This record gives sequence, structure tokens and C-alpha cells, in this order.
Amino acid sequence: MSAPNQATAISQRSLSWRQFKAILRKDIVMELRTKEMITTMSIYSLLTMVIYQVALSQAGTGFDPRNIAAGLLWLAFVFTSMLGLNRSLVHEKDQGCLEALLLSPIDRPVIFFAKMVGNLIFLLIVQVLTIPVFGFLFLQQGSYAGELWMIPLVLLGGSLGIAGVGTLLATMSVNTKGKDFVLAVLFVPLMYPLLMACVSATTVAVLGGVDSEQQFWSAMGMIAIYDVVMIAAAYALYEFVIGA
Amino acid sequence: MKLVKTGIVLLVIGGLLTTAAFVMAFTTAEVQRHSSTITLPEKPDTVFQAIAHTDDGFVYPRPWFSQKIFYFHVPVGLASFLVFGVAAFFSIRFLMTRRREYDTKSRIAMETTLIFVVLTMITGVLWTRAAWGVWWQWEPRLTTYFIMTLMIIAYFVLRNSIEDEERRAVYAAAYSCIAVVNAPISFAVTRLIPSASHPVVDEGAMAISNLIPFLVAIAGMLMVGFAIYVARMTEERLGERLAALKEKFESGS
Repeated sequence: MSAPNQATAISQRSLSWRQFKAILRKDIVMELRTKEMITTMSIYSLLTMVIYQVALSQAGTGFDPRNIAAGLLWLAFVFTSMLGLNRSLVHEKDQGCLEALLLSPIDRPVIFFAKMVGNLIFLLIVQVLTIPVFGFLFLQQGSYAGELWMIPLVLLGGSLGIAGVGTLLATMSVNTKGKDFVLAVLFVPLMYPLLMACVSATTVAVLGGVDSEQQFWSAMGMIAIYDVVMIAAAYALYEFVIGA
Repeated sequence: MKLVKTGIVLLVIGGLLTTAAFVMAFTTAEVQRHSSTITLPEKPDTVFQAIAHTDDGFVYPRPWFSQKIFYFHVPVGLASFLVFGVAAFFSIRFLMTRRREYDTKSRIAMETTLIFVVLTMITGVLWTRAAWGVWWQWEPRLTTYFIMTLMIIAYFVLRNSIEDEERRAVYAAAYSCIAVVNAPISFAVTRLIPSASHPVVDEGAMAISNLIPFLVAIAGMLMVGFAIYVARMTEERLGERLAALKEKFESGS
């Protein structure tokens, strides 16, 4: 009695997995062909660096940019990720891909996770490209007292949250009149707790300090809670949003 | 029509209670400190003049007047959290049932929340200036509340930029479901982070002369909030009926 049920359950799971891979592969192949998201986001983050230089140009010689490096870095990430998230959904909509996805017999959560992981990969690539440039331009003087192994963890946690919430909000904003403006208005307040924790953890990673480990892990705990709660909420709401 | 009467009655009672709370706040209420109540030897009644009063080493700049905002600010803030919760509840109901009335209810509750949030912000900023000497400080409660205000504004930005009615309702409901997570955080943040400089209301330690106007003001404010909600709801229903009648009339003639 239970054997066939189990068999269908297993095949259902492997089917979902294959669907997930197919959507993800589609996103990656499209990106490899057009190279649009990565290039726009990278150039945008480079431009942000130029603006930072202007903003910090009058700060004087006594000013140590390491103190605000984490904030500057995450500022660049927030703006580039908004650009990227908007793009990734605008493509889907303009080319009618979203409708095709909805027509195909794919579970809605699978679409959400595939889009989320796609966005996560692109965000991480851009971040990995941005960090050396940022370090090269702003952090050459002085040594790093902190522990740099912490940085990949923060990046992963932060990008996971950005990709999860961002995918939901971008799916909403792409269907509005004000597209990217609406995305910014919805995105920034929701991102606030995550950004706060990310900046705190990254600052610890750059500067070090007496109880840096403890401070780092408490910030990482906040990031983890945020990621779990927000991705669960986004996952639950995506079905409603994408069907409307 | 029954609802309208309830609304009017609530508005009148709520207004009376709030007024009574104000009168009490300025006449009978003692001056209070964070956790316990003290009575100042003299009654400084000059509006916003710096009176540094040192009683067991504690400096009170302008103690008398700025404290009165407590009986307005706290009930309004409390009401804003509650009405936000109600709006989110209706949003969830909407997503479950897909009935349009829940969307309308949620939107109107959100409008009421916006009114309360703006009032809380204004009174809070006034008090901050009087008590802390600055207009604004990036302190946990103020920050989370500011974020909440932005979210409520974002809710209306989102609504206004979608034309399709069904889609507008679903997206707004989904957003308010996520945004409401911030309300309990903002409410609890002064209790969770003890170092936060925003005072925590401790009803148990309040003197009776403080507690009575405080509770009366809360009751009055909640009634006024509900009356605003009822009034807007009635307006909405009448508007719908009018539109339906117009359509009927035009198609009939």
C-alpha cells in the first residue's frame, strides 16, 4: 500500500529537482550568452567606487577608511543587487518567460527557489569581483587586524537574504508602473536588519578587536535568523504573488 | 447604518475619554521618573523653560511640561502597533479567502495606522527634543519605528503603482504580511536591549494618579482609532453603492 505512494513521492521530488535545475540552467545559460547582469552590476559597482572617492575626497589625511569600509561595501552591494534583481525579472517578463513558466506544470516554490539561487549566484560573483577592487582602491594603507576568513561567511549570509527577499519583491515590482523605484521603496526598509548585521559582522572581520569573535557570531546569528524567517515568508507568499 | 451609529458613539466616547485624560494629565497626575514616582517640590508651570532640578543627583531639564506628552504619545504608539496588526490580519484573511472586502478592510486599517504612526512620530520627536536635547537620535526604538513608518508609506506607494485590481490587492497583502514582522520587534526592542535610552513603560510602578489618565487615554485613543476605521469603511461602502447605482442608471436609460 505504501510502496507506490513512496515511489511517487520520490519521483515527485526528483522531478522538482530536475525542474529546479532546468530553470537555473536557463538563467545561467542566458547570462553566459548575454553577460548582461554581471557586466551591468560590475560596472555599476565600479561607478559606486568613483562616487565614494568623491565623497571621501575632503575627509583629510587623518581619516582611516577602514572604519567605514564595511558600510561602504554593503552600500555598493545593496545598490548593485537592486539593479540585478530588477534586471533578472524584467527579462523574464519582457520575453514572456514568466507566463511560460506559469503555464508549465511546475510547482511555484520550485520557480521561487530556482530564481533565488540564480540571483544568489550572480550576486556572489559580483561581490567577489567588487571586494578586491574596493580593497585595492581604498584599503591599501594599514594592515588588516581582523580575520579575513569571516568575510565569505558574511557575504553568503547577506546575499542569501538579499536574494530571497529580493526575488519576491522584484517579482512584485516588475508588474508595477514604477518598476525599479518601487523595488527600492519596498526593498530598503525590509533589508535594514540584515544590513545592520552584515555591516557589523564585516566591520569586525576588517578591524578585529578584543571580543571580535563573539561580536561576529552574534551578528551572524542575527543574519541566520533573518535569512530563515524572511526566506520562509517569501517562500510562503511567492505562490500568491506570482499567480496574481 | 448601524455601523455608522457605532462609529459616531465611539468617536464621541473616545474623544471625551482622551480629553479627560489630558485634563487629568495636567491637573492630577504627578511628575514621574522612569520606574518610580517622585513629587517635585515646586510645580514648574512655565512652558519649555529650562528648569534643572536636582533631586538626589538627578537632573531634570524641563520636567513638568515635556512629561505630559507621555499620556498622548504612548497610547497613540500602542494604537499604531495594534492597528498595524489588524491590517496584517485582514491581509492574511484576504490571501486565504480572496474576498475583496478584506482587501478594503486591510487598506483602511493601514490608513488608520499611517495616521497613528505620523502622530507618534511628531509627538515622539517633540519629546525627544525636550528630554534628550536633540530632535532625533538613531536609537533602537526610534530606528525600528522609523523603518516601520517607511514600510507603511511603501505599502501605499506599492498600491498606487499597480492598476490591476486583483494584483494590487494580492501584492499589498503580501507586503503587509512581511512588513508586520517589524511591529513586534519595534515594540519589544526597548525591553530586549536594556541599554536603549528610550524609556520603557512600567505600569506596575506607576502611581495611581499617573496610571488612571494613562489607561483612560489608551481606551480613548483605541476608540478614536476604531471610529476612524468605521468612518472610512462607511465612506468606502457608500462610494461603492453610488458607483453601482450610477452604472445601473446609465445602463437603464
